[in-house]
Amino acid sequence: MVRRYLAALVAIALACLVPAVAAALGKPDLITLGTQIAIYAIAAAGLDLLIGYTGLSSFGHAAFFGLGGYTVGIMAFHAAGEPMFGVIPGLTEAWLVWPLAIAVSAIAALAIGALSLRTIGVSFIMITLAFAEMFFFLFVSLKTYGGDDGLGFRRRNAIPGIAPRDDVAFYYVCLTALVLVLALLHRVVHSRFGRVLQGMRQNPRRMEAIGLATYRYKLTAFTIAGAVAGLAGALHANLLRFVSPDMLHWTMSGDFMIMVVLGGAGTLVGPVIGAAAMVLLQSWLAQWTEHWMIVMGPILVFVVLFARRGILGLFR
Amino acid sequence: MSALLEVRGLMKRFGGLIATNNLDLDVTEGELHALIGPNGAGKSTAIGLISGELKPDAGTIRLARADITAAPIAARVRLGMTRSFQVTSILPEFTALENVALVEQIRAGHSFRFWREAARDRSLTDPARDTLARIGLAARAEVAARDLAHGEQRQLELAMALMTGAKLLLLDEPMAGLGATESQAMTEILAGLKRHTTILLVEHDMDAVFALADRITVLVYGQAIASGPPDAIRADPAVRAAYLGEEA
Repeated sequence: MVRRYLAALVAIALACLVPAVAAALGKPDLITLGTQIAIYAIAAAGLDLLIGYTGLSSFGHAAFFGLGGYTVGIMAFHAAGEPMFGVIPGLTEAWLVWPLAIAVSAIAALAIGALSLRTIGVSFIMITLAFAEMFFFLFVSLKTYGGDDGLGFRRRNAIPGIAPRDDVAFYYVCLTALVLVLALLHRVVHSRFGRVLQGMRQNPRRMEAIGLATYRYKLTAFTIAGAVAGLAGALHANLLRFVSPDMLHWTMSGDFMIMVVLGGAGTLVGPVIGAAAMVLLQSWLAQWTEHWMIVMGPILVFVVLFARRGILGLFR
Repeated sequence: MSALLEVRGLMKRFGGLIATNNLDLDVTEGELHALIGPNGAGKSTAIGLISGELKPDAGTIRLARADITAAPIAARVRLGMTRSFQVTSILPEFTALENVALVEQIRAGHSFRFWREAARDRSLTDPARDTLARIGLAARAEVAARDLAHGEQRQLELAMALMTGAKLLLLDEPMAGLGATESQAMTEILAGLKRHTTILLVEHDMDAVFALADRITVLVYGQAIASGPPDAIRADPAVRAAYLGEEA
């Protein structure tokens, strides 16, 4: 127990050194990579609450990631121009926009979950995929917000005391968000609620037989995961100062799933490792070929076949 | 003596097969009632209908006078009835203690508690330890359920059913797959339980059934052909012809 907290502290300390290392090596793009990893890790950790803990293979997680991103983008768009529908003003302050993004994603997850969770197994995977595709095509067709081309904005959301163009500061903001999300999820998976989730993964029939109404717990987990993805999406929009339907594409949902499985489902560290492995491999392999998935694919197959608990499982 | 469980005219068809045919069954408070019958007689279907996993085509089921024919499983558990499974059904990754503590957690109310660590919650672990002790598993509390011996897993399953606080336990072949010594141990555990709880027992092990049961109902082709105390059942010519005769 104590060793685990120590390991977590060491990991956080190392992550804090990334900007210094990037400066020493003269490679500022390392900071962007680190920020990207932190953001994807947030979304993947939320998804792992479903895949790894509850046993729900949601294949539509990009929908909530994208909705969080678009909330930031659309609010920035209206802040710079006309109010939405002529009445709702845009927003640029992080402390207002980010909670709004989380809420939008949570509400969408509540609605999508309420319908999808009536099915199980392959039907559940397909229905979550279908809902995500629906949102994808919705934003492709919304010409006001750039449609296919996406929507750019000039400034990151304002955080008091932080310069909007300061990439190092934004890296620390994302790192802080990741640590907070992981701490929160750590409490959740060890709570009574978390016990119920893990029970449903191990033996759903048994859980019903001992009197659990499983649906509402699955729906709550689904909503939490959606809200977390919304935060990740809001951060991602801020990182790029740009949102596009790519955030909602089914390949994005697939990437999140790969991060969870690659790193180790059913742990909180796993998705972080998975996100790091995915982002680093992608940036490294992309230097050699644009078809980097040709290499990534076999690696994933190898991990799934030989390390059933993901990369993390290799070290246990 | 009132009937805790009252089944009237229960019917269930699977396509052309009539699995439960106009079944009447009374389980009186405090008794251990055994449901026996040859393979395919519809014993597991009957348990499935009573526990709520299957929906009957016709008939009524009453638990403590309340009509539960259409009630969902969770509602039946709240009213005081729970089942065990023919195939061992536990949470393999959790320890024995965590398995039973989780049942206590669900019994204690909703689980929308997100902050406090469940493993350190004495209000869950203390009753769970008591129940494990009652069932003879206290020494194995910290072992992952998947690493328990088969007989111990069956005991754990029973402990979980017991922890629901059920007035009526539906036990579907608790001796299934157990060796002679393990069956003997399980018979003793059930003999201890029946003093506190009403039990409807489906079992193939006739030694155990005749040692434990206060009353026996014999099912053949989904129909109850006889019901009564063990001696009467043993002497019943219809039962001998349909069932016991097959074994002799």
